[in-house]
Amino acid sequence: MKEKESKKTIYVPDIAKITRIEEVTPTEKLFNIVFEEPKKQEEFSFKPGQFVELTVFGVGEAPFSITSNPNNKEYFQLCIRNIGNVSGALHRMKEGSKVGIRGPFGNGYFPYEKMKNHNVLIIAGGLGLAPLMSLIRYILDSRDDYKEIMIIYGAVNPASILYKEDIGEWCKRDDIRVCLTVDNPDDKWTGEIGVCTNLIPRVDFPPEDTKVVVCGPPVMYKYVVQELEKKEFAPEDVYLSLERRMECGVGKCNHCHIGNKLSCVDGPVFSLWEIKNLKEAI
Amino acid sequence: MLYKILPRDSYQSFVENLIRNFDFIGPKRKDKATHEFTKITSFGELDLSYKKTTIPPAKQILFPSTEEIVEYRREDNSIEFRPVVEHSLKLLFGVHSCDINAINFLDKVFSTDFSDDNYLSKRRNMVIIGTDCEPRETCFCLAMGKEYVTAGFDLFLSELTNRYFVRVATSQGNKLIEKYASGISSAGEKDFKEYNEKIGDFRKKFKLSPDAKSFYDNFDLIYNDEEFWKKVAKNCFSCGSCCLVCPTCFCFNVRDEIELNLKEGKRIREWDSCMIPEYGLVAGGHNFRPTKENRLKQRYQCKLKTFVDKFNTYACVGCGRCIETCLANISIASDIDSVRKEVTV
Ligand SMILES: Cc1cc2nc3c(=O)[nH]c(=O)nc-3n(C[C@H](O)[C@H](O)[C@H](O)COP(=O)(O)OP(=O)(O)OC[C@H]3O[C@@H](n4cnc5c(N)ncnc54)[C@H](O)[C@@H]3O)c2cc1C
Ligand code: SF4
Ligand code: SF4
Repeated sequence: MKEKESKKTIYVPDIAKITRIEEVTPTEKLFNIVFEEPKKQEEFSFKPGQFVELTVFGVGEAPFSITSNPNNKEYFQLCIRNIGNVSGALHRMKEGSKVGIRGPFGNGYFPYEKMKNHNVLIIAGGLGLAPLMSLIRYILDSRDDYKEIMIIYGAVNPASILYKEDIGEWCKRDDIRVCLTVDNPDDKWTGEIGVCTNLIPRVDFPPEDTKVVVCGPPVMYKYVVQELEKKEFAPEDVYLSLERRMECGVGKCNHCHIGNKLSCVDGPVFSLWEIKNLKEAI
Repeated sequence: MLYKILPRDSYQSFVENLIRNFDFIGPKRKDKATHEFTKITSFGELDLSYKKTTIPPAKQILFPSTEEIVEYRREDNSIEFRPVVEHSLKLLFGVHSCDINAINFLDKVFSTDFSDDNYLSKRRNMVIIGTDCEPRETCFCLAMGKEYVTAGFDLFLSELTNRYFVRVATSQGNKLIEKYASGISSAGEKDFKEYNEKIGDFRKKFKLSPDAKSFYDNFDLIYNDEEFWKKVAKNCFSCGSCCLVCPTCFCFNVRDEIELNLKEGKRIREWDSCMIPEYGLVAGGHNFRPTKENRLKQRYQCKLKTFVDKFNTYACVGCGRCIETCLANISIASDIDSVRKEVTV
């Protein structure tokens, strides 16, 4: 006997509406999303680094990091690269379309509490800036709680740079240092060239007074970690977000396991110390 | 736990009563060599002489190979999602200790962090009656500490001379035996003595005895020895059969199916295997476990280490199904010992 129950299970999404779509690069769009039920929207709260599972009707479900400020209660935002089934279908959707949302998920978030009264070094590679945006926006809301903030962001080429407006604003401020670099410059590019790892030697924050957060493609981590270790940052003070294949987001399908941890429930953000104790993590 | 005695004479009528009153699932001969857990409608269909079923009972019933978990509907611009949960009462009869231990393991998986109602509602509505067994060549549950089970069943029947020693683990089990069996009495000294002898003899019959404890620490030392793992995985076809037959493997994929009217659809989960190359593939083409050595090593880690850390138990109950199924003759039991030998030589 199969029953259609009214009680929700962990696999049943809530209905939400795409209220705004903005094309930011040839392959990435930003989606502002609001839950259909006002009460759900009110209650929806998340921490920087957490993600949601998004369903496109008839296509499937995939995890996406939340990029908006946790203080923003009106909507939440995702930044999505057009790369496959679900993401491609989303890119074809219009404002006003409905999607399904489960989450937020991930007990391992960027631990902003621990960053208070310390310098914060943020290292982003490519689409890795998306989850970090949530953290950056959040800590900038209470800028005085933190010491120096430095953001290192590496993109493939100038056209693929995400959040150009926000970056422009940061550059105007004197309380954030922003270092941008691209692998493949165009004629107009006057900034740094090369991978973001190259910029780490310039960091002059004292390791004992600094927290580091890193997010980028899987290949980036090994090299970033090598550079950070040269700077003698303690592994407990370095946080990395690890992307894995996820089919459920709630610790059941097991695809995202890394040793005895699951990226979806124990992560996706882990400290470098935790990662050092896990095989295959980076 | 209550300990009772069911006379041999009452056994058949007890089982027949259960068949009449329950959705009764038990082992049935499928063909010359194989048995499967399936619906039983008469006493004669039940074959408790089975050694092991190819597909373990847990995965036949509680976590089937494909399972609808959500259904959805679209009307113009509105969407509706509804959970699909099955919770009819079933009675599972004739399950062996290793397979009950495997169910206990799955119970932990599906109730930790988040509760998976698709599994748990079936589990909550399942009566389990265990029966004892004879080890086969490939069985090594003893080495894994899974040859005996103390929870997770309602009744457990062990055959003694002219009677059954019945361990009653739940009040539900007690009700069943009081209502449907005649001639029940409490177990006495003589019964316990024969029961203990029987269990003692059973434990002497195992041919395989891999040293699973040695794996936990030695694995770390041998982890980066590429030559060793290449040798171990040399003949693997990456077919994933070892996972499909495993009573504790629970990895699944999720996919959506939509009706031709484009209005109704369902979300389905289906078994996956960590031995298949696509398992670790993410969008963008990066694969976290591109080689078969990576994957086999990972499978052993999952079975023998990961869940020792998480749940303080092995995720291998030593049923030997993967050993019997593997066309490449890969054996987790011999590989456990190879790890130890390699490290101590
Ligand atoms: C925690 C987390 C956060 C993420 N955040 C973002 C984000 O902010 N923005 C963003 O754009 N993306 C993000 N992703 C990636 C995103 O979840 C999807 O993986 C990506 O959008 C591709 O999904 P798709 O359905 O479009 O692609 P598909 O091509 O349909 O792939 C779907 C899934 O199947 C797997 N797959 C691909 N090919 C195969 C195959 N041949 N066989 C079996 N499986 C296959 C992939 O690994 C992928 O996970 C995140 C992922 C994780 C885990
Ligand atoms: S170990 Fe054997 S059963 Fe498992 S994937 Fe390899 S060949 Fe297939
Ligand atoms: S790993 Fe093999 S022996 Fe162990 S429980 Fe699974 S199928 Fe049985």
